[in-house]
Amino acid sequence: MKKMQRSLSFALVLIMMLTMIITGCGAPAEPAASSPAQSASQAPASSQAAEVPKEQVELTFYCVADSQPDMQKICDAATEYLKDKLNVKVKAENFGWGDTYTPKINPMLASGQPVDIVFTANWAANYRVNANAGYFVDLTPYLKDSPIREIVGDDFLNGSAINGKNFAVPCNKEKVHNWGFLLKKDLVEKYNVDVSKIKKMEDLEPYFDAIKKGEPGVTPLLNVQMEGPFKLLDWDNISDDDIPGALYPDNRDNTIVNQFETPEAIAMYKKMREYYNKGWIHPDAATQDNFSEEMKTGKYFAVVQSMKPGKAEEMKLSTNIDWVQVDITTPVMSNRETTGALLAIPIGSEHPDIAFKFIEMLYTDKFLKNLFVYGIEGEHYEKVSENVVRLTDNTGYRAGNGWRFGDQFIDYLLENEDPDKWEQFKAYNDMGIPMNSLGFAFDATNVETEIGALKNVVQKYYKQLFLGTADTDSTLKAFSEEMKKAGVDDVIAEMQTQYDEWRKAVGK
Amino acid sequence: MMSKILKKQGKLNQISATGNILLNVLFIVITIVCMAPVLLVLSISFSSEEAIRHGGYSFIPQELSLKAYDYVLKAGDAIWRAYGVSIFVTVVGTFLSLAIICMYAYPLSRSSFKAKGFFSFLAYFTMIFGGGLVPWIMVYTRLFKISNSIWILIFPYLMNAWFVMIMRTFYKTSVPESIIESARIDGAGEFRTFLVIVLPLSKAGLATIGLFCTLVYWNDWYLPLMFVTERKFFNIQYLMYQTLVSIQYLTSGSAQFSEAAVVLANLPTESARMAIAIISIGPIVLAYPFFRKYFVKGLTIGAVKG
Repeated sequence: MKKMQRSLSFALVLIMMLTMIITGCGAPAEPAASSPAQSASQAPASSQAAEVPKEQVELTFYCVADSQPDMQKICDAATEYLKDKLNVKVKAENFGWGDTYTPKINPMLASGQPVDIVFTANWAANYRVNANAGYFVDLTPYLKDSPIREIVGDDFLNGSAINGKNFAVPCNKEKVHNWGFLLKKDLVEKYNVDVSKIKKMEDLEPYFDAIKKGEPGVTPLLNVQMEGPFKLLDWDNISDDDIPGALYPDNRDNTIVNQFETPEAIAMYKKMREYYNKGWIHPDAATQDNFSEEMKTGKYFAVVQSMKPGKAEEMKLSTNIDWVQVDITTPVMSNRETTGALLAIPIGSEHPDIAFKFIEMLYTDKFLKNLFVYGIEGEHYEKVSENVVRLTDNTGYRAGNGWRFGDQFIDYLLENEDPDKWEQFKAYNDMGIPMNSLGFAFDATNVETEIGALKNVVQKYYKQLFLGTADTDSTLKAFSEEMKKAGVDDVIAEMQTQYDEWRKAVGK
Repeated sequence: MMSKILKKQGKLNQISATGNILLNVLFIVITIVCMAPVLLVLSISFSSEEAIRHGGYSFIPQELSLKAYDYVLKAGDAIWRAYGVSIFVTVVGTFLSLAIICMYAYPLSRSSFKAKGFFSFLAYFTMIFGGGLVPWIMVYTRLFKISNSIWILIFPYLMNAWFVMIMRTFYKTSVPESIIESARIDGAGEFRTFLVIVLPLSKAGLATIGLFCTLVYWNDWYLPLMFVTERKFFNIQYLMYQTLVSIQYLTSGSAQFSEAAVVLANLPTESARMAIAIISIGPIVLAYPFFRKYFVKGLTIGAVKG
């Protein structure tokens, strides 16, 4: 009897272990069951209910950025300021950047904790995943008559929506991107580079040559990992940078291609091979892994960067090197920008209406917005003029990064910044062409295995091709074969199907 | 013949001169291998960022600089507070955890305990199966409501089934059943037997488990990451972890928003990482000499003595 019992319990344990192994991976995917229905039924208190709530409620607001010693002071100031407006007790906190923020926020969302506002993006707190899981309140009804719609603009707002629903509000900031070079200023002057004549990378070749010969110790072109001239092709990637599947960035058609095997890419690989052989790319490029550290050394002439107005001045701040900015590609508005910085209201929030009003104020209320960006006037910064501020020596609050939430264009400017910065930003934003794929989100569940395998293949080969460290033809051949084996065709077919369906659904 | 050999060997049980030298050299080498990285880290943490960028790492700082510590300690009071939290949690946590573990393990080591199988299973079961992350979090936040308090940093690690297993085995092997029996014959109750007879005999085991617990509590950054949103309950490891990850993020090039560049200005990245390592080693190194005495005992107690 006892023996039987024992073997029975052993079998039971075995079964449980097996189920564990099988279900183990999928654990966090279970959404709070009621979520979508619940959020849909929550009727938004429309803007007419503008009266101040009688009872003070607590409003938690979690965001990226370094945690600041004086955060409590900021919260107190905000609470005081909002007393006769929203009557909330603000509890705001920053939890570092992506890698500390995401693991902190995701369990909070999954366990339905009563948090009111969280920052989310394609690079922090997985916006699409969490929205699809039903962890965010659907803000579409709220946004209908909100001033945010006008400030942010319809196409940007729609671009950040998932299947036509806004689960988060995008920050109003630079909405487009383009690629170009930063050239080291002293070398530009020494070699008389006529910046206005440089329209494509090839125009720089004579200077690369001259610098290679004339400047020992300086490498003409910085090319580290994926941060290099390959970026100039500016693929509108369907998934991550290291997953095949992209659209041409000029809206020429709606066919998804494998960007690593296009004629443009192959021409680029050949070019890079040529540059590498000529010594225009660092001989150790394959093992370098820290782009910004390399950039700071000042041992490079040209650096590929994502551009925007005032880029050179900004990079001067972080690298201590004078740069000249050369734009190469046309500005485009892609999914990368629309989901770059958003605020969402988790379904655990007990006061979504008030939370939304608070978010709205970050777009419309100059005082509140700048309080969270620069801190308290007279303590953390002082005003130089109406719109220009100078930071004081008190480093208790240095959150900065006004692009994280609200309307960046109501932020004060620092003294060293161009007084026209926001006008230039707006003009730059207007230049951008919205990509056909704007608003499309690829759901990888059906091809997860293939995607994983492809990622490994790309990681294995891309450096040899992007940096030109190995023979192009033979590497490309091996690369193509392995991609095929890993199922690249299935993945691209899946992307195409989803993309076509999405286009039909939104009527593009 | 025999005396000749003895003379050659010197005293009984003494190793030969060459053996002695070889062993000494061996241990010196091992010590260097262990110490060198720590010294290198220490040196880098005091080097200037410029010197590192141009000259690489070196054992003697080419250019002394305190900038890394300045950056890491800029949080000011927060650091000392976090140190306080860490020390409190480590001391109280180790004590409580040790108490619970050795009290749970003791009955399991006694053959006369009837429900032994059930309780062993209960502990063993948690080693294989967990409830999953989200339920685990909900238990503490919703059921016990202790997130954002000092106890959240202590409770989740109080019981450790693995340590219970070690402790049970330790009792079994180092406390003979006959001693417990004799105590009972002398009229000692279970508690008295445990406190007066068993525990003193298990000092080495307690020290070992105690050291493990200390390390678990001191090195933990996961609990603050998961549960704590108020900075006053951040411990030193979490604070350092946050700083470290921020540096990594800001320098990785994936910081797609250029305003991050402003933060990057003059950020001592390499040296700051090393300064973080040095700071987080902190007082825990002092715990080792304290436990060492028992550690050696614990290791040799089962060995054959010659």
